[in-house]
Amino acid sequence: MDTGLTAAESRELDTRLQKRQVKEFMSVFGNLVDNCFNSCVDDFTSKALSGRESGCISRCVTKSMTTQTRLGERFAELNAAASADMMQKR
Amino acid sequence: MSFLGFGGRPQPSSAEKVAAVENELKVVAEMHSRMVKVCTAKCVDRTYREADLAKGEAVCLDRCAAKFFEAHQTISEQLQKEGAQRGLGGGM
Repeated sequence: MDTGLTAAESRELDTRLQKRQVKEFMSVFGNLVDNCFNSCVDDFTSKALSGRESGCISRCVTKSMTTQTRLGERFAELNAAASADMMQKR
Repeated sequence: MSFLGFGGRPQPSSAEKVAAVENELKVVAEMHSRMVKVCTAKCVDRTYREADLAKGEAVCLDRCAAKFFEAHQTISEQLQKEGAQRGLGGGM
């Protein structure tokens, strides 16, 4: 991506992007907890997660990570196609 | 040095340039995050009986991503069009 930034500006951008990545990870993590908890935990007759609930959560995490990866790939493809399209139209 | 003859638009400052790139990436990242949320809700079975993504779910996710993108573009275009119309209609 040719953004026309100087070396110093590039470094500044990198620092900011790193911070942003951390924030994004926390956000993904948060959504994951919300989603898996909501999907898997419904029984409050006990304060410990049951075996069923733990298994469900574990499978939920694995599946969510797979989903995230797959959608990331699709998104990159679609984004690239859209950008190329826009470039052509200019 | 180029003389544009427009009365000289001020060059964006260093901070503005960096902020602009960061902002663009932020918009893209947000869109990605929304897509994941929406397509997971629509395509992934919430009982989580299996850790592996089923073939049907995977195909659904692919299609959902493509449709989401298209919907995003369509809505964006329509908003611009209608916004322009209303802007002109409601102008002084």
